[in-house]
Order: sequence, then C-alpha cells, then structure tokens
Amino acid sequence: MNAYLITIATLICINAIVACGLNVIVGFAGQISLGHAAFFGIGAYSAALLATKAGLSFWAALPLVVVITALIGLLLGLPSLRVKEDFLAITTIGINFIVEAIFLYIPFFGGALGIGGIPRIMLFGVRLKGLTFFLLCLFFLLLVLAFCWWFSRSWGGLACFALREEESAAASMGISPVRFKLLAFVIGTAMAGLGGALYAHYIRFISATDFSFPVSVLLLSIVVLGGMGTLWGPVVGAVILGALPEVFRPLVDYRFLFYMLLLLLMIRYQPAGLLGEGSMVHRVFSLLLPEGKK
Amino acid sequence: MNSTLLAVKAVSKHFGGLKALDQVTFEIRPREILGLIGPNGAGKTVCFNLISGVYKPTAGEIIFNGERTQGKAPHQIARRGVGRTFQIVKPFATLSVLENVLVARGISRYNHLGKIWSSWKSRAEIRQALEVLDRVGLADLAHRKAALLPLGNLRRLEIARALIVGKRLLLLDESFSGLRHEEILQLEQLIRNIRADGITVLLIEHNMRVAMGLSNRVVVLDHGRKIAEGSPQQIQQNERVIEAYLGRKGHSHAA
Ligand SMILES: Nc1ncnc2c1ncn2[C@@H]1O[C@H](COP(=O)(O)OP(=O)(O)OP(=O)(O)O)[C@@H](O)[C@H]1O
Ligand SMILES: [Mg+2]
Repeated sequence: MNAYLITIATLICINAIVACGLNVIVGFAGQISLGHAAFFGIGAYSAALLATKAGLSFWAALPLVVVITALIGLLLGLPSLRVKEDFLAITTIGINFIVEAIFLYIPFFGGALGIGGIPRIMLFGVRLKGLTFFLLCLFFLLLVLAFCWWFSRSWGGLACFALREEESAAASMGISPVRFKLLAFVIGTAMAGLGGALYAHYIRFISATDFSFPVSVLLLSIVVLGGMGTLWGPVVGAVILGALPEVFRPLVDYRFLFYMLLLLLMIRYQPAGLLGEGSMVHRVFSLLLPEGKK
Repeated sequence: MNSTLLAVKAVSKHFGGLKALDQVTFEIRPREILGLIGPNGAGKTVCFNLISGVYKPTAGEIIFNGERTQGKAPHQIARRGVGRTFQIVKPFATLSVLENVLVARGISRYNHLGKIWSSWKSRAEIRQALEVLDRVGLADLAHRKAALLPLGNLRRLEIARALIVGKRLLLLDESFSGLRHEEILQLEQLIRNIRADGITVLLIEHNMRVAMGLSNRVVVLDHGRKIAEGSPQQIQQNERVIEAYLGRKGHSHAA
C-alpha cells in the first residue's frame, strides 16, 4: 500500500516538473503548445540511450539530456513560433505525432519494443528506488519551482508576460517577440527533458506511446486546471489529475475523454484555473485575507 | 544630420488596391513638436506604423538619426529611442500599472541574454518607474491592475511607457482623445515639458485647439497624400485643408 502511494506520488512529481515547463510556454509567454509530450519523450529517450548504449550514469547524462531536449526545442520552436496562434496549436500537435513516429519506426530508438533495461539511478553508492527515488524527484521539482519563481521576477520573465498580454505593445518596448517566445520554449522543453530523464530511470522501460498526443493533452489539462501562469498551478493540477484516476478506478479507461472534457469546461468556466486571479480559490482567499497581496 | 531627426521620403504604403499612404514626404527637426493631422482614414496611424516598424513601406525611405530604418522590426526601432503610443490603447492588462512601466524600463536589457536574468523587483527600478508614473499623474494607481483603469488613465499609462522608450522621438497617436478638459490641460503641459527635456514629438491629434496650440509645425494628410505643411497659422488659413475637413464631416472637433 505504501509502495503504491509512493509510485503515484513519484509520477505526480514527474508530471508536475514537465507541466511546470509547459506552464512557462503557455502560462508565462502565452504560446499554446499541444505537443509537450514530444519533448518529455525526447528527454526520456536521450536518457535511456545515453544510459543503455553509451553507458553513462544518470548524473553524467542529465546535463546532456537537458541540453539535447532544449536544442531540439529551439530547432522546432524557431519555425513554429513564427506562425500565427491557431497554427501553433496544429504545428505542435504535428510535432508530437512526428516525434512519436520517429521513436516507433526507427530501429535505433527500439521501434515498437521501446527501450528496456534502463538502470536505476545511483547516489552516494545507494540505488534509488521507492521512497528515495521519490525524494530525488521532489528535489528536482523544488529546483524547477525555484527556477520558475526566479524567472517570473526576472526581466526575461517580465518580457514574456508583456508578450502574452499585448505582442505589438511589447515589441514597441524593445522586446523581440520571436526571441522571447523561443526563450520560454527552450526553458519549457528543458524542463520536459529533465522530467523525461527521471521518468526513463523510474519506469526503466519506455516506449513511444508513453509520449503520445493524449499525454500532451493531460499536461495541458494539468496546467489549465491548476492555473496558467501561476507558480503552484502545475503542482496542484498534477496532484489532482494524478490522484483522481486512482480514486475513481472505473474512470481509467475514459481518462483521455475526461481530460478533454475537463480542459473544455475549465476554459469555459474557470479560464484562470484553480489558482489564477479571479478563480474561486483566489476569491475565497482574498475574502479571508483582505488586501493580503501587495 | 543634425537638422533632421527623422526624414520620411516619398513613402507609400498600399494595402491591396488601397493607397493608405501615397508618396508622403516630411521631416522632423530635433526638439520640435510636429503635428500630423487629417480627416479620419487619412493615413496618420499608418504613417506611425511605418515609422515604428510595424509595417514596411511599399516604396520610399525612412531615415531616423542618419540611419535607414524602413524594414527594421518594431523592437529594433524602439531600441533606437523611438517611443510610441497606440490609438487603440494596448495595456498589459493583467499586469499592474507599475509593472506596465517596468516592462518599458527593461528596454536596455532585452537585447542582451546576460542581462535578463536579474530581478526587476529592485528598489531602484521601482523608484524610477514611480517617478515616471508621477510625471503622468498615475503614481497613486501604481499597484492597480491595468485592466481596471478608465480610458483616460490608460492613455496616460501609454504615455508613461512611451516616455521611457522614446529618449529621442515620441510618437503620440491621439493621446488626448477621451480626456476631460482639465486632463487635456495637464497633458499639454506635460508635452511641453517633454520637449523642454530635449525630446522631439510627433503628434497625431484631432482636437484642433490642442494640435495648433502645441505644434511648431503641422503636416496635413488627406486620402494618403500630404496636402499641406506649415506653421499652425498657415495651416489654419490653408484652402485645401479647410476644404478637406469641411468636405468630409462638417467641423472637426473630435475631443
Ligand atoms: N492593416 C491594414 N490593412 C488594410 N487597410 C488598412 C490597414 N491599416 C489601415 N488601413 C486603411 O488605411 C487607411 C488609413 O488608415 P489610418 O488608420 O492611417 O487612418 P487615420 O488617419 O489614422 O484615421 P483616424 O483618424 O480615424 O485614426 C484607412 O482607409 C484604413 O482603413
Ligand atoms: Mg488613426
């Protein structure tokens, strides 16, 4: 029972890390992405390949994994972010399907069998599993949150907020739209890479469907449910959406449908998410703590 | 180069078959206030969008501070010291008034990857942003969310942001429209002070009393063409200008 809870908590942590990255792209910079699972997958596959084929330890491979994922994010983001918003949704879905197909059909990536035999992570001579692996994930989640907090207070983050609100006004203040959208995209995909590496070493057997389009929808649902552009939103969203299917076991088969429905309902009735401004939680809190903020 | 800050040379902008601007030429000298007037749809805002890089001219040249700037992107032109407001205000709605101004204060950093990681929540930055807000009379509302401001205050916010960016040239697109009488008087004084600080101003204005009172010189557009240029006195007596205005919509007083 305990091990079962730890498993769920670990996966929630990993989802939260990846969703934090998506939040930088969607919530901070206002760029829709429906293909974030592709970068989650690129992180997982690079970590798996570096561990199984190149024999690198998790720690030696991790910086490479993050850089590789961010570089691919940069390459794919450059043409994508130049298109208009509605196209961006389609383009990113396209990226997701293409990346999944590459994993599935190119033998180097293990084909339909995926990649197995990914070793556990070693730390101070200890093999991380169960609780210790969860603590490692929690540590990285806190690191990612600290970075997001820092970024939201930095000039770069402010430029992203401005772009999200009014692109032409932001440009008239010296902000290059392409450059800062790319910055957000690179930061977001790097976090997806980190999450992917942790996932690969946790599951230890990965295949292309782990990173298919429904996973992108799940990630976006997490961000929208928690509150786009907030710091803790992705964590709250990941906890709720990670725990719900476990609570309502019969729902599991309809998970994808449920996420889609949730996404539509949230966008219609609570676009700011659970933690965003003007949301129910936010209103209750401002009633409890009048003038609490600022 | 010193006697001209901005030269617009035979500039045209066509949208499909529509000649929004047709072979327009004028110059702005350093430290002057140039009024750009004309009936609705004359091409004034298009002219601003060409100078600030939103559009590329179909033909012609734009020289700012000795450098050809047509075809440069808006953020590149902003970095050269050209600040602008928008006729249809464009606040960063979910940010506070103060944060709106801070976005503009980051202009010297956005071009250097190394300079964008430090925090904008420093005391010095906030103090200087507050000073600018004080100049436009918005200091009391610094922490209010921009989306909550009425139009008059949003126009001042636009000016505050443009003031920070526009170290050399300020483009004001109908900044007076929608303001009450006493607000207009305050804003007129502010623009005179800005000029006294050595900043050049290009002003689009429908309110004739304001346009004529503030401008050193006036350029008149109609149907995308320049129909007159001169001192406010000359313009007020110019036959073609009177005709252009009377021909279209009785008397021009859109305050
Ligand atoms: N992006 C665009 N695409 C097509 N036509 C445009 C575009 N922008 C402006 N126009 C047209 O160009 C002409 C000039 O417009 P502009 O906005 O410059 O007028 P204006 O002088 O600023 O008028 P107003 O006083 O009403 O603001 C108008 O006929 C307008 O419809
Ligand atoms: Mg106009």
